[in-house]
Amino acid sequence: METGSAEVILSIRGVSKTFPGVKALDNVSIDVARGMVHGIVGENGAGKSTLMKILSGVYQKDSGTVVFDGKQIEHITPHQSMLSGLAIIYQELNLVNTMSVGENVFLGRFKEMKGMRGTHAAARKLLESIGSKVSTTRLVSELSMSEKQMVEIAKALSFKSKLIIMDEPSSSLTAEEMVELVKIIRQLKGQGISIIYISHKLDEIFEFCDIVSVMRDGRVIDTQPKSEFSRSELITKMVGRTIENEYPPRPQAVGEVLMEVRSINTQKLHDVSFTLRKGEILGFVGLVGSGRTEIVRALFGADRVKGHQVLISGKPINIRNPKGAKDAGLGFIPEDRKLEGLVLPFSVESNISMASIDRFSKFGFIRKSLERGIGARQVASLDIRTPSTRVPVGNLSGGNQQKCIVGRWLEISPRIFIMDEPTRGIDVGAKFEIYTLMKKIAEEGGSIILISSELPEVLNMSNRVLTIFEGRITGEFDPQSTPTDTIMSAALGLAPGLAGGAA
Amino acid sequence: MNAQVINRAMRGTGSVLREYLVLVMIGVLAAVTGIVEPKFVSGANLVNIMRQFGPLIMVSLGMTFVILGNFIDLSVAGTINLVAVVTISLIQPFGQIPALLMGLTLGAVCGALNSVVILTSGALTQAEALFLTFGMSTVYSAIALLYSGGTTMHFWDITKSKSVFEAIGSGSVGPLSVSFVIFLVLLAALWIFQSQTKEGRAIRLTGGNKTAARLAGVRIKRSIVVIYTIGGFMAGVGAIVLFSRITTAAPVIGAGYETNAILSVVVGGTTLKGGKGSVLRTVMGVLLIILMSNCLDLLGVSTYLQVAVKGAILVFAIWLDNRKQV
Repeated sequence: METGSAEVILSIRGVSKTFPGVKALDNVSIDVARGMVHGIVGENGAGKSTLMKILSGVYQKDSGTVVFDGKQIEHITPHQSMLSGLAIIYQELNLVNTMSVGENVFLGRFKEMKGMRGTHAAARKLLESIGSKVSTTRLVSELSMSEKQMVEIAKALSFKSKLIIMDEPSSSLTAEEMVELVKIIRQLKGQGISIIYISHKLDEIFEFCDIVSVMRDGRVIDTQPKSEFSRSELITKMVGRTIENEYPPRPQAVGEVLMEVRSINTQKLHDVSFTLRKGEILGFVGLVGSGRTEIVRALFGADRVKGHQVLISGKPINIRNPKGAKDAGLGFIPEDRKLEGLVLPFSVESNISMASIDRFSKFGFIRKSLERGIGARQVASLDIRTPSTRVPVGNLSGGNQQKCIVGRWLEISPRIFIMDEPTRGIDVGAKFEIYTLMKKIAEEGGSIILISSELPEVLNMSNRVLTIFEGRITGEFDPQSTPTDTIMSAALGLAPGLAGGAA
Repeated sequence: MNAQVINRAMRGTGSVLREYLVLVMIGVLAAVTGIVEPKFVSGANLVNIMRQFGPLIMVSLGMTFVILGNFIDLSVAGTINLVAVVTISLIQPFGQIPALLMGLTLGAVCGALNSVVILTSGALTQAEALFLTFGMSTVYSAIALLYSGGTTMHFWDITKSKSVFEAIGSGSVGPLSVSFVIFLVLLAALWIFQSQTKEGRAIRLTGGNKTAARLAGVRIKRSIVVIYTIGGFMAGVGAIVLFSRITTAAPVIGAGYETNAILSVVVGGTTLKGGKGSVLRTVMGVLLIILMSNCLDLLGVSTYLQVAVKGAILVFAIWLDNRKQV
């Protein structure tokens, strides 16, 4: 075996699972060694989640064997799986928001813990063991994403888990919080606990995984120690084709000032002013909660903010709501695709046509043939992969869903395109397509404000970046000539608030 | 992708089954009752069913829009009470056509007022709307009681002509009752509004996902005003059809219409989650509810048990709705 002589804690042999019409897992075999961090990478739909759900007992496998900790696993429920020492931390986390930290760690086991006092004491101990200082009496709803993750990990430890599966844990963490998570992962590893780490992000895989399995189309393509893989090799294996670069070259021709935003002030934002040029991609760099999303929401009229000034092409414009922003030529890709971007049960077509209803209706009546044309045009020009424009948009993969939102706005050709986390949770191939699209928009004279938690993304795509810390703009930089450290320390509020970083 | 195609096909069969389920239930109900109690298919009973159909279908058609927009309206009972007592009292002083128009306007104003209350209080969830409109219902009912002094007004108290209301209550056009013709006209208008107009689309987008609709530049506040105004207007129509049929208007005649309307809409297959549904489905829902109580009546089932059956059907309809994957 690739894992050498190390003791195998989990052995998956020839597991297959078929859903009506699709082979979700095809003869999958993976061995996870004790005390190792085993990365599993693959695009959306590669079968990672299905595999995890079989391990946790949410689905039952059709064939093959799973041996965990020396025992064959057959027809278990998620609860039994937890008791046997196999814990899964889902992407969306599984906590009761209205209960305290301690209660969540020992949910349903207060009796065993001898009441609430014992519960909180034991939870305290577990949290301290992973270096978390969160008070066990705080409500989970008040915690940050990373603190919630700590609670999940403490919960996993409370079951004396021997294997913890983490499903895309970093998708909602900031770079800083990620550092903490990595520390904890190393610590758990030191205690002999195995970890399966599922992620799209190759940086993470290369940072702390020992062994990497690549999945594609329900099959395990390759399993090797990390050192055996090069970055490009891994990407090629994931997508099944060669991708030359992760980012297309950034747009070159940046024109005159298109928009000027003067002094946005709210409870969270302090005197935020900036300019945006024609054909420019302007990146916002800041931690989650720094106010970067609030800035664009204020600009777009999504939150009620007064007192600031917006000038587009020199003319003052009063944007009172998203409809007003749309009419002023702004487009907006919101942070949370599913909650704020799409109407999931509605068709691809009606999701694409949402912003351009005025264009295909006359005297208040909708002209369906025009709407169909809009749907078909965007599906074709953005290469949205869908069996038809009539299927619910919720059936599509994340990348294709995001393209529907892009298409929605392209239909009305916005002059200014705000993109808040445009590539969150979508796979490498689709990311590149979104980047290429952004570049195309900019080259055709559109301007983009880009917000992303992935620093490499902002730095590689933007012509100029602004760093934001605690509601203030703390710096302006040219990402091509400024060292990443300088930008990062401005985003962390470490450097003095100089705008002199820019050329 | 193959999987998606098959998925879609399965979804298709599921929704076809759901669509037909109400029709199948209507058919089975009619057949069984017709065999057990031949009176069911008599001409007199069919006319009776058509008349019973009147008020509830009007209120339910309006409620369909409120639920499509992912809201709910409990105020229709109060609106019916108010519109009924006010309209009947206006016939004598103003004449019947002005009374009719003022009554309809009052219904729409009550509905619009609900939306104003909802928007100013910043309530954006169905649960909040539930309580707010419940409160508004008690307000409208109280005004109706104060206005009428708690007394019932009868047609025979009115000395001026009331022919229009008599026609609405008991007239017929060929084989159809006048109220049924009114229903057909309104149904056609509302169906076109729902499926063919920009505003109808905006309502469904609002119902499907308020946040997403707003961020795509859809005017969701306007949609909220529109759905409640339609709901109030149709409750007003229901009130007029109702008191015309029973020739009296008491300030409590609307009681129970809010729950029966919600029941009809949901049983018809319009989801409480908003966005998906149709006034046509609601027609089937109302038909099922009316047929059911008619057949339970004919079979001699007690009223108490009938209420329990209705409750069970509502629970079943919501259960079915939640089984359906998004």
